[in-house]
Amino acid sequence: MAGIPHDHYEPKSGGEKWLHSRLPVVGLLYDTLMIPTPRNLNWMWIWGIVLTFCLALQIVTGIVLAMHYTPQVDMAFASIEHIMRNVNGGYMLRYLHMNGASLFFVAVYAHIFRGLYYGSYKAPREITWIIGMLIYLLMMATGFMGYVLPWGQMSFWGATVITGLFGAIPFIGESLQTLLLGGPAVDNATLNRFFSLHYLLPFVIAGLVIVHIWAFHTTGNNNPTGVEVRRGSKEEAEKDTLPFWPYFVIKDLFALAVILTVFFAIVGFMPNYLGHPDNYIEANPLATPAHIVPEWYFLPFYAILRAFTSEVWVVQIASFVTGGIIDAKFFGVLAMFGAIAVMALVPWLDTSSVRSGRYRPMFKWWFALLVIDFFALMWLGAMPAEEPYASFSLIASAYWFAYFLVILPLLGVIEKPLSQPATIEEDFDAHYAPKVGGTKTIVNPAE
Amino acid sequence: MKMTPKSILTTALATAFALSGALAQAQDTTTTTEEVPQTTPAPQADPQPATEPTVEPTVEPVAEEPAADTTSSTEPAAAPAEAPVAEEPAAEAAVEEQPVEEVTEEAVEEQPAEEMTEEATEEQPAEEATEAVVEEQPAEEATEEAAHGDDAAEHEAAAMADEDHGDDDAHATPHIENIDFSFDGPFGSYDVNQLQRGLQIYTEVCSACHGLQYVALRTLGDETGPNLPEDQVIEYSKQWDVFDPELDDTRAGTPVDHFPGSNLENAPDLSLMAKKRAAFHGPYGLGINQLLYGFGGPEYITALLTSYTGETKEQAGTTFYENTAFPGGWISMAPPLGDEQVEFADGHANDLHHMAEDVSAFLMWTAEPKLGARKQAGFAGVLFLTLLSVLLYLTNKRIWGPVKYKRRD
Repeated sequence: MAGIPHDHYEPKSGGEKWLHSRLPVVGLLYDTLMIPTPRNLNWMWIWGIVLTFCLALQIVTGIVLAMHYTPQVDMAFASIEHIMRNVNGGYMLRYLHMNGASLFFVAVYAHIFRGLYYGSYKAPREITWIIGMLIYLLMMATGFMGYVLPWGQMSFWGATVITGLFGAIPFIGESLQTLLLGGPAVDNATLNRFFSLHYLLPFVIAGLVIVHIWAFHTTGNNNPTGVEVRRGSKEEAEKDTLPFWPYFVIKDLFALAVILTVFFAIVGFMPNYLGHPDNYIEANPLATPAHIVPEWYFLPFYAILRAFTSEVWVVQIASFVTGGIIDAKFFGVLAMFGAIAVMALVPWLDTSSVRSGRYRPMFKWWFALLVIDFFALMWLGAMPAEEPYASFSLIASAYWFAYFLVILPLLGVIEKPLSQPATIEEDFDAHYAPKVGGTKTIVNPAE
Repeated sequence: MKMTPKSILTTALATAFALSGALAQAQDTTTTTEEVPQTTPAPQADPQPATEPTVEPTVEPVAEEPAADTTSSTEPAAAPAEAPVAEEPAAEAAVEEQPVEEVTEEAVEEQPAEEMTEEATEEQPAEEATEAVVEEQPAEEATEEAAHGDDAAEHEAAAMADEDHGDDDAHATPHIENIDFSFDGPFGSYDVNQLQRGLQIYTEVCSACHGLQYVALRTLGDETGPNLPEDQVIEYSKQWDVFDPELDDTRAGTPVDHFPGSNLENAPDLSLMAKKRAAFHGPYGLGINQLLYGFGGPEYITALLTSYTGETKEQAGTTFYENTAFPGGWISMAPPLGDEQVEFADGHANDLHHMAEDVSAFLMWTAEPKLGARKQAGFAGVLFLTLLSVLLYLTNKRIWGPVKYKRRD
């Protein structure tokens, strides 16, 4: 493997050599675990572990839940109640799974915004970024289909609205929608295929996660300075890095334990906090809820979807130019997927040669505004589609696109970056200044 | 710690959506309970003719009711299948049959409730009950005064709505006052005596129309639930007629059966009612107060039961009753509970407010029977993870100690 020079696994005993020459699996594990990692990683680099944990949690709880769940329209809702009441520990499994999805998205958003700030998407890590975006898309699909399974009111009507989006695509939309639903409307066929896919996709995600990790193990981690690890020699590299085990494993586990403490408090004391009371009402195709809201993690993009109504001039122009093929509804769908697409394309939209936002004085402010914009969109997505929220949504959506399509390309040209440290070692030592003098003055409460 | 505020912030925004979502309610069956007056689910020996749903046929078929339950004629008799059954319905029927004009509280008070005294004894381990009652009464009374005067539900608060009435006319969003239920907060648990009283009220009053299809009768013996002794669970179960597909007929219920579903097509099943409705979204829409107060489902039920004004109106052949806790202001369910309507064996206060709270607590239990176990698990989890965090913090500190602030020459 290319990458940062470091010690590799050396089989010693005869048995080890025998295995290693046939299947170098121990070597693979060793190299993965001992991978040199920039020593200056900060606390925003812990989300990867949290995400891995979430995936494992969701798969494990999900497999057990699937043993008790019935994907049939007349029985799905009752089978959830069966899990909640009769299955041993079923209520805990379900609440963990339900809130686990939320934790998953909290972590993925933190992870994505960390990447956006520190320029983790820039060369040579574009593939890592793109794979990450694919994982994120699959997570959304999985989350959405999972939300349909309890067959409550929000499940049903959420499914109706979201699959309706695909119906807005010109020419092929209607067939596509029918294919997704397995019929003209959300019904048993829909529930069955969603269950099947909800079970399948996490394993696809797991596969992509391996590729994601493989990719950044090849390029090495980014770090808060954005300065690359020196690779001239092993000695040089070791000044910039520390092995993943034990330094980062323990650090990440500590962060994970803290996050899980909060998570468990929510699961134990307010498990329905992030849910919607309507989903405890069984799906009823005859009664439409007055407001259909998706899960919180979809809200920013849901807001973008709704922002582009037929009154918006951009939409009118698009409609005029395409002879009505792009109507307001389709425009909204395009905008929603476009909002994710521009994020995926950011490695080529950002023209700055400086990776880390830390050394980009102007970028910092635009980035902060993007974070605010994201939360604003999340809030707006939950508001009814009326004034003044509609106008705010439009402004917030516009900023989202402007950030990626206008501001990032321009900043690279007009911005004067600050000076960066020459090496990671320099940054680390500046942070944890080496003590002068011969005596050990470290105050370490652990000792 | 940077993750704590982060997750709080995200969840906060999520609640904002939950808030607006609450405005959006299903015009689920629950909202249009077209009810009562004419229907007397006379619980007699011959179930068929009398109990055939005497529902108004005008209403759209609604999905909430399982087909099987309509056939199972339900006897809402409170007595565990004993002698008084025959007379008792009279009392009950009287409640239902009230002519529209009188559906005010005085009217309800007239109901002869005496007959129900005996059965009550059987449903409650009396000794326990009395003790607990002594302790809890003052507290409850105090809460009640604070929590809901008659006008409590009339307060307006912009941010809250629980359900959308069929009529779109009013988006009045009634303010629901918090009640200090024993099961609120991280360490809360159900009050066994309150659940038993609630069960009695459910059995004698609510079950005339409503069902609890997801609740197994055996769970009445759960320690963290109503905690009835086994023989009482068996006795209690017998009073419900259950449809048995093997017999192709109904038979007396046993603990393995579930409560019957609703008798009326438009009377929603109550199993999950306390979780279908959320009254609290504060402060500032963040919903964080759930941690202390719960999400307000039981509070909503209490408010609904106590917020009838006595006004009625006719609309399209249906009588609607004004209720200030009900979004839209008019509900088709006649006031179901009145002062002293149910008599408790231990003489526990049976005014409207107390009973409304008791039955709300019971419905919270039917909606979330594992609440006690869940909170215990949550507590154990938080404790364990806190300890683990501390240990990992110290480990981390120690591992990094030699690396940080290292003297390099």
